[in-house]
Amino acid sequence: MFGERQRFMLLLIAPAAAALVFFQVVPILTGANASFRDWSLHDPQMTWVGLKHYIYVLTDPGFVWTVMPNTIFFMVVSVACSLVSGLALALLLNRNFPGRAVVQTILLLPLMVAPVVAAIMIRWMFNDQFGIVNAVLEAFGLPGQPWLAQRATAFSVILIADIWLWTPWFALLLLAGLQSLPREPFEAAAIDGASRWRVFRYLTVPMLRPVMVVCIVIRAIDAFRTFDIVWTISAGGPARSTELFSIYAYIEAFQAMNFARGSAAAMIGAAVIVVLAIIIFRVLNRWSEVSK
Amino acid sequence: MTSSERLAAPLDVVAPPRKGFFAALAPGGGKMLFALVVAGTAFLFAFPVLWLLLTALRPASGVFYVHRGTEFTLHNFVEVLQQESVFHAFVNSFAIATFATILSLGVTVTSGYMLSRFRGPVPSGWFAIIYVLRCVPYISWVLPLFFVTRQLGIFDSYWGLLLPHVAVHVCFFSWIMKGFFDGIDPSMEYAALIDGCTRWGAFFRVAMPAAVPGLTALAILCWLYTWNEFLFALMLTSHKTPILTVVMAQFVHELGMEWHLMSATAILALIPALIVTIFGQKYVIKGLRV
Amino acid sequence: MAEVILKNVGKAYGQVVAVRDFNLTIADQEFVVLVGPSGCGKSTTLRMVAGLEEITSGVIAIGGKVVNELPPKDRDIAMVFQNYALYQHMSVRDNLAFGLRNRKVPEAEIDKQIAHAVKMLGIEPLLERRPRQLSGGQQQRVALGRCLVRNPKLFLFDEPLSNLDAQLRSQMRMELKELRKRVPTTSIYVTHDQVEAMTLGDRIVVMKDGLVQQVGTPLDLYRRPANRFVAGFIGSPAMNFIEVTASATESEAMIGAPGLSLSFAGQKAALLRAHAGKTVVMGVRPQHLLLDGADAAGLVRFAATLSASEQLGDQQLLDLRVGGAPIRVAGIDPALSLADGTELHLSAMPENVHFFDAADGHVLT
Repeated sequence: MFGERQRFMLLLIAPAAAALVFFQVVPILTGANASFRDWSLHDPQMTWVGLKHYIYVLTDPGFVWTVMPNTIFFMVVSVACSLVSGLALALLLNRNFPGRAVVQTILLLPLMVAPVVAAIMIRWMFNDQFGIVNAVLEAFGLPGQPWLAQRATAFSVILIADIWLWTPWFALLLLAGLQSLPREPFEAAAIDGASRWRVFRYLTVPMLRPVMVVCIVIRAIDAFRTFDIVWTISAGGPARSTELFSIYAYIEAFQAMNFARGSAAAMIGAAVIVVLAIIIFRVLNRWSEVSK
Repeated sequence: MTSSERLAAPLDVVAPPRKGFFAALAPGGGKMLFALVVAGTAFLFAFPVLWLLLTALRPASGVFYVHRGTEFTLHNFVEVLQQESVFHAFVNSFAIATFATILSLGVTVTSGYMLSRFRGPVPSGWFAIIYVLRCVPYISWVLPLFFVTRQLGIFDSYWGLLLPHVAVHVCFFSWIMKGFFDGIDPSMEYAALIDGCTRWGAFFRVAMPAAVPGLTALAILCWLYTWNEFLFALMLTSHKTPILTVVMAQFVHELGMEWHLMSATAILALIPALIVTIFGQKYVIKGLRV
Repeated sequence: MAEVILKNVGKAYGQVVAVRDFNLTIADQEFVVLVGPSGCGKSTTLRMVAGLEEITSGVIAIGGKVVNELPPKDRDIAMVFQNYALYQHMSVRDNLAFGLRNRKVPEAEIDKQIAHAVKMLGIEPLLERRPRQLSGGQQQRVALGRCLVRNPKLFLFDEPLSNLDAQLRSQMRMELKELRKRVPTTSIYVTHDQVEAMTLGDRIVVMKDGLVQQVGTPLDLYRRPANRFVAGFIGSPAMNFIEVTASATESEAMIGAPGLSLSFAGQKAALLRAHAGKTVVMGVRPQHLLLDGADAAGLVRFAATLSASEQLGDQQLLDLRVGGAPIRVAGIDPALSLADGTELHLSAMPENVHFFDAADGHVLT
């Protein structure tokens, strides 16, 4: 059983596994454990209550009808828009034009800024009294919006922030993918008379599918878990319209001081992500015939 | 006609195809449009950062109407750098980002190699574990993590921040490392094994050097990510080990919003990230090629 | 009319010149082969005709129209690439249809063309498969099919058989010849393999270092090479070369080298007289050296020592030495058994002996 090969395999993952055990598995298990008990920072009793918190969360109409749909909507829209704009940027950066290196550095700025800082800035930019966005709108004669006080506009702001932050990441990965595509099929297509659009649609995009699938799956998982930028910009408001499930969990755990319930909410969210990730992966896999 | 006479005969010249609408507008019209699009996009992406810069250059009083004021000052930068916690935070963040990168890469490169080169229950199990663990949101375990680091006595220290980062990176990078090693032909390693190398030797001397472009790309992305990371820094450090992102956020709190100081710190924090990006972007693109 | 004219065509990448002063007229339906060692500029020239490379200098005309400024799709050409360049994610049928769909040909017409082409190439059962499920030969046939359905004025081939194994290569050569009979289209074919060049081309263009060395029919190139490079490149096994000194007296013209002395009459004598006293390179093909040839007048004869022999089954190849210089002889009876070190007498017809300038290699006449 523990032949030389097996030992080598286990040795290879030993340091990683050790780090994982202490600093992920144990905390997660502790959190999971807490979710099955009554535990708030006031009451150190920690009695086992089974699925009480889970039931609470799953039957909370706010969670089921507002928070979850918000989160899924956020994930889908953010990933889709980042993908499209990232692809556009990658195509742009794939051509050689004077000043390309400078433009590329500028387009990567969102990756260099701390997301929290970016979120603070964007919140300030959309401030209805002092923000630049309303100032510009008013300069053009359009009415300024109470951005963070209305559902639709507040959601738009957090989407804008997320898309701004993650488009360059998509662009980088897609650019790497574009540059590793073989040259000859494109030459054959040039001789075959394909217009630029047809080359893009029938050649470039299909050949980029494997890279896109990886990007989408990774980003979808992270988008679902987004916390800091939404918390910073809107704290889930107004009236819970931008509340994502990670914020729900945070409020329960640290504001309502019911860590166990917050933990249960987070666990439910985790289960949803795992299921979604598998579904997305399978669907996209079939679409792109990537074998893994 | 002989060849040479053929060559001398006049040939029809076909006019090149019409170049399209925008080119017709003006000579170089197509290029103008392109330049406009590029400039517009660049501006859009740079805008929040430009705004940040502008706010950093305004005195405290001018922060609320940043776009209308006319005063500029560098005083914010001076004030911020004089605060000991800021300077300290700079050093700490830099050290953490660098060490976290080195440690994470070291730990995950072996993990990714294993996932790539082997099949069977152990690799499949490992892959499933890290995939699932990655999906668990931070909220649920960041508080227990706080307790764990306290228990281990590493709270508010370098190790207390490094090790959790490494743990998180394991899940993410192993998958990407696997991709790199998938793209490297294993026959070189077989040749090394036949030549008398141990498995470790084959890994260190043959496989890893081939993965260097990918490793470089990941190192740069990892460094940038850790430099800007907020949540762990917030939860796992306190006064002894100030971290830049936390210090920045503290300028903006319920009691008083010192936007100008936050912006100044943020601009200063941007500089190392900018340097790393400028030098690294070429390697990132080359290294991420599938 | 699909005549192709290249006039003073040149290609430079900055300071590096890849193709220099290329002049050629290709008649309608002619099959021209560009052949030469790697880096000689043959692929670059082909790609300039295709429109995949910019033409630095000169003019290229297809069917009477100058195409320098035209993009590839407007030149009415089709190209077969060395590594097939098939669209990996499309079925074979879609690969074949792609070019026609780009030109908005109605689907019924497309189906007809595809049916016609796959029948000719024998790939009908492969229509719904993906390229990665096909073997190398099948993929190359699909690439050919892609050209056939388009029915262009000009076919371009960029080393299409180089990725195939030897046996498949000779089979595909036959198939290409068959195809040519049924679809006679002007063609330019690039290869580094002189056997392909000789068997496929109506005319061959030998290139080296960006310059055309010689243009002619296969037989022309074989019998009357214009310089030492062409002489050594065409024909297998390669021509033997020996450095000799020409000399002449009133009565005879001779060449001399260590262990070798030959005397020539007639045209060759006049040649040697003109270059008397100089070092020249003498070339004679292994196939033109006879072992103890019939005692006919006019043959030049010399002795050489056997150092090795290679048995091919249908013939033997002998490696001999003349005063230290190596000489190969081909076409020897395979049953003949000779011991190393034997002295043999070789003879050759004077017409089959060539002389080349020792400095720049051009043939001396």
